[in-house]
This record gives sequence, C-alpha cells and structure tokens, in this order.
Amino acid sequence: MRAITKIKRLAAVLLTMVLGFGLVACTDAAASSSGKNGSFRTVDEIKQNGTINIGVFSDKNPFGYVDENGKYQGYDVYFAERIGKDLGVKVNFVSTEAANRIEYLQTGKVDIILANFTVTKERQEEVDFALPYMNVALGVVSRNDKVITSLDNWNKNDSMIVISGTTAETYLIENYPDIPLQKFDSYATAKEAFENGTSVAWANDNTEVIAFSLQNPGYTVGIPSLGSSDTIAPAVTKGNTTLADWINGEIEGLEAEQFFHADYDATLTATYGSEYKESLVVEGGKVK
Amino acid sequence: MLDLGIDVLFKGTNFLRLLGGLWVAMRISLISIALSIPLGLLTGVLMTSKSKIIRFIFRVYLEMIRIMPQLVLLFLVYFGTTRALGWNLSGEMASIIVFVLWGTAEMGDLVRGSLISVPKHQYESSEALGMTKGQTYLYIILPQTVRRLLPLSINLITRMIKTTSLVLMIGVVEMLKVAQQIIEANRMTSQNAAFGVFLVVFILYFLVCWPFSRLAGFLEKKWQG
Amino acid sequence: MSWEFIGKYMPMYQRAAVLTLKIGIIGIAFAILVGLMSALVLYYKVPVIKRIIKMYIELSRNTPLLVQLFFIYYGFPKIGIRLDAEICGVVGLAFLGGSYMAEAFRSGLESIDKIQEESALSLGMTRFQVMRYIIFPQAIATSVPAFMANVIFLLKETSVFSSISLMDLMFTAKDLIGLYYKTTESLFMLVMFYLIILLPVSLLGSLLERRLRYAGFGN
Repeated sequence: MRAITKIKRLAAVLLTMVLGFGLVACTDAAASSSGKNGSFRTVDEIKQNGTINIGVFSDKNPFGYVDENGKYQGYDVYFAERIGKDLGVKVNFVSTEAANRIEYLQTGKVDIILANFTVTKERQEEVDFALPYMNVALGVVSRNDKVITSLDNWNKNDSMIVISGTTAETYLIENYPDIPLQKFDSYATAKEAFENGTSVAWANDNTEVIAFSLQNPGYTVGIPSLGSSDTIAPAVTKGNTTLADWINGEIEGLEAEQFFHADYDATLTATYGSEYKESLVVEGGKVK
Repeated sequence: MLDLGIDVLFKGTNFLRLLGGLWVAMRISLISIALSIPLGLLTGVLMTSKSKIIRFIFRVYLEMIRIMPQLVLLFLVYFGTTRALGWNLSGEMASIIVFVLWGTAEMGDLVRGSLISVPKHQYESSEALGMTKGQTYLYIILPQTVRRLLPLSINLITRMIKTTSLVLMIGVVEMLKVAQQIIEANRMTSQNAAFGVFLVVFILYFLVCWPFSRLAGFLEKKWQG
Repeated sequence: MSWEFIGKYMPMYQRAAVLTLKIGIIGIAFAILVGLMSALVLYYKVPVIKRIIKMYIELSRNTPLLVQLFFIYYGFPKIGIRLDAEICGVVGLAFLGGSYMAEAFRSGLESIDKIQEESALSLGMTRFQVMRYIIFPQAIATSVPAFMANVIFLLKETSVFSSISLMDLMFTAKDLIGLYYKTTESLFMLVMFYLIILLPVSLLGSLLERRLRYAGFGN
C-alpha cells in the first residue's frame, strides 16, 4: 500500500513539473511573437529620449573592446559614436555576448547591435539588417611542419579549432560537415589550445589568422581566403523600419567622406596593417 | 615562459576596474544572501509543515529552481519579464531576483534537513512545558538548527559569489568579464596576459571567499564550546 | 517554437547529454571518494594530513571551477602535463566536489553526539565498530540532503566546461543560439535535458532521505 502511494506522489510531482515547464515555454514563445511587433523605439522616440542604446562586444579587439581606461574602442564603436553624433544623442554602450545579441534586440533593451554581426539567412528571420559596413572572409592557419592548404580529403582524426558563434563556425558546419570542430568560447582559450597542439588547424576571420601568423613564428596561413565572403552590418529589432532606414541613409551619406576608410585607419591599422583596407572596408553599403 | 603578463593589470585603470567588477559580484551575492537567509528559514519551516499541499508546493518550487540552469532563469527574468510584462529590470536587479529565488530554495532545503534532524522528543517536551508552536521554534529548535546550518550556508555564500560569473550573459560586467576584457584588449601586445590575469582573479576570489569560511569555522567552534 | 529546428538539433543535445553525464558521474564518484576520506581525516584529527586537507578544502571551496579548469587545461601543458579535455573536466569536478562533499560528510559526522562514541567504546566496541555501526549510519542520514544538493550542484557545474571546449549541454545551447538565433528553442531543449538528467537524481534524493531517516527524528 505504502509503495503505491509513494509512486502516486512521485508521479504527481513529475506531472506538475512537466506542466510547469510547458507553461514557461509556452508563455515565452507567445511573448516572443508579440515582442517582435511592439518593443522597439523609432528614430523620433530615440531623439526625444536623448540617449541611444547600442550593443557592442566588450572583448573583441579590435572591433569592440574596452581600453585600459574603461572606454569602449574599436571599429564598431567608432561607427556607433558617429551614429550618436549625427542623431544628436548620447550613446549608451551595452556589453553583449554572441549568445544574447538577438534577445537584446527583440526585447528592445538595445536599439542597434553593432557587434561584428555577420549577415546570414537564419539571422535575417529574427532581426532586420541595415546596409553592410565591412567584409569578412575566412582563413585557416596551421603549423609550419604540416601546412594545410585545402579542406578536401580531410583526415577525420584531426580536428579544427573554431570560436563558437563566429562566421568560420557557420561556414564549416554548412560546407564541410565532416570536419571535426573543436569549439572554444573565447579568442584567448582558442589561442592557448592551438599553441598547446590540440588541433592541426584554426579557422577564423582571415584578418585574425593572418595577424596570428605574423606574431607567432612557426605558423603559416595555408588558406588565406575561404568560401564566399560575407558581410557585417548593423542590426535593429525586426520591423523597426524608421531606424533601419535612418542607418541606411547614414551609411550612404558617409561615403562622400570615406568614413569607413578613416575608421579602418583609426582602429584596424595597428593590428592588420593597411594592406587589407580595400578588401575589408565596405563604403556606402556597396559590396564590390 | 616566466612572463605572466601581469603588467597589463597596471595599465591605466585596469586593476581598479577589476576590483570594481569584484565589488559588483559581491554586492549581488551579499544582497541576495541577506534576503535568502530569512526567506530560507521560513521556507524550511514550511517545508516541514503537516499540510501535504504546502509541502507539495514547496517541493515543486525547490525542484524547479534546482533543475533549471541558472542561465535560463537569468534569461527568463531579464528578457522574459520585458516581453511578457513590459518591465525593464536592470541586469543587476534581475540577477538579484534569480539569486534570491535560488538561495531561498537551497537554504530552505538545508533548514528542512536540519529541522528533521532535531530529535522528536524535543518538540514533545516543549509542548509538554506549555510552549506554543512559535515559542518552540524560536527558543528550542531554531537555535540548534542555526548552528548545524552554519557551515552549509557559508558554502552557499561562497557558491553565490562564484556563480556571479554567469551574470555577464545579461550584460552585468563583473570581475570575470572585466578580466576577459583586459585579456582581449591586450592580446596583441601581451600574449601571456591570460595567465597573469586569471591568476590574479583566482587570488582575488580566494581572498574574498576565504574570510567567510574562516568566520563560519570560528562561530562553529565558539558555539560548540 | 520551431519543432523542425528542435528535431534537427536533437542529436547534438543527446551527444552533449551523454558527455555531461559521463564526466559528471565519474567526476562525482571521485569527489565522493575525496570527500569521504577528507571528512574522516578531519574527524579523527590525523596529524599533518589534517592540515593539508584543510588547505585543500579552503583553496577548492573558495575559487570558481571555471578558473580551476583554466589552470588545469591551459596551465598544466606549460609545465609538461598534458591532459585530455575530458580528463580535465573529471579532475576539475573531483577537485571542486571533494571539498563540498567533505563538508557535507563532516557536518553529518559532527552532528552525532560525542556521548554515543564514548558509550559505545565503554561497551567494548573497537573504534572501527563504533564508526561502522554507530556513527556512520546516523551521519550518512544527516548528510543526505546536503549530499544530494551537492550532486545536483556538481552536475550543473558542468555548464562551465565550455571554457575547455567540451560540448556539454550548456555550451551546445549557447553555440546554437550564437549560430542560428533560435533562443527559445535552444533554451527549451536545454531545460528538457537538464530535467531528464536531474529530476531522477532529485527524486532519488528524497526517497533515500526517507529510507535512511531513523525513527524518533523530526516531526
């Protein structure tokens, strides 16, 4: 008798919990569909408020990072500050992660994401992208004693290092699903692991791998440019057309003064030199 | 290989920012634990209630909080409340809410565990002496329980301080995030900074958590003697 | 909610769950061993070793697993010790969990009145018999809630394994969100898998607790 009541009680606990979680999931899903329509601020509302919230990375040097005086710096930040200036509002920088950029936009907690955001089909379903302001291409770096120049005929026992949430990861999953990936959650850990010899190669933005091989003797970029080149663009909450249009106008208008070339000179030259300027910078939203 | 890159911490205001991040982590944990202790005591008493329904409700609460990953709770409270209710909580407030929910559940379970380890005859003796239920708890049961609880609740405080590293997912910049920022900002010039900075972070965590453990040990000894 | 997405990435979560469980179970088994031995050393006040154990407990309990793992995985190779990521995970969990388990067992052992030990000794029982038949059974019963809370806590701590590139459940969820931006679906699957793994552990805990409770305790 006792055993039966015990089982009944357990079953009741289990059932309630499943229902509880179901409820949480449903309200979340319901809320997210409604949130997509309502929770953003138009250009006029932002101007009235006097502050724009822009989500940037705080640990991705040289695109978005915090310098030794606690100030936001980098290619994305340079553009963000210009947006603030031309809108006539103060910029409030919000530190974002790869895994929460979308939530920030969907809940309207930031107005724009300028966090090295690569344009992809999946992402376009969730947010609206403005015109691009940068190109990305991928590269693969490997050790001098075993330089990898092609991804075909990959040895399945070898793994490739990628950083989670980057374009390199997306590209490899889609085009080379058979290559075993070893994923890391930050540049620092990926670099350590690569140097400790856990994988034969490291795929990342080609500027990154080139900079790495220049600084670390013993490594060669066997594949300097991989696949089709993607673009990086500002993202706004889905449906926020006034803001997206304003940013598009801004990007087109800045072409005359070659703003993004100046941005490159100010933020990227120190890391990549000037030889990648033409291939990286997208001026006026026009991809060559 | 001896260059640990600790020097990056002395550039500009880096070290102060790191300490600022530590303060954020401590503030969240200390406020949360201060709220969790009284709420946890109450929850623990209710968990030993004679009413099956009350026991059941608190059981489900405990199981849910324990099983849900903290990251999901943080997302639900920070982004979920904006979506569903239109609230605009700050990241820090959302963290405190999640930590209090979590702390209350864990503390409640610890209190419950201690309460049921008090011999039954003590409840009966107090009743026989004419004490009310409230008096029994206040003067007889809780003082004993608190002593047994102490080492365990100190575990919880230090655990909270250490778990604050998750709050960076909702935009709160605490010590580990600052550490990452410093490492990344200097990755071109100081390649080994990761070790130096993490070593300092390791020591700082220890320096903050250790006094709590010592305090617990001290009180435990004092009350036993 | 896109069920298509959930179906497509289910195998990824299954692999992650297996990895989480594998490292979790082995790591916790070692943590129990370390914890039990540490608690006994402290209880019997074994000279010298007692000091080492105390230092270990303070160090392990007062620093985050994330930073501990970082040193095991990235620091050790610099001094010539190269460990596989999975082994690092196990070592890290055992190192952290050992001190938590030690505290749980110790508070159980110390909740037993000294008079019981003295009475049992005066009845002519050996020290081992006293531990085996008198103290240990009661201590275990008292430490079960804290013990089970630790097991769940340690299983959830696997969520920091992303820092050493182990694709556990949390990293899988974060990875998928970063890649495809399906936050609701990814987190829903994360919760479901944690539920499947942790709910039985939690229920087992309350069952054990009732089994082991001795007559005359509690109200």
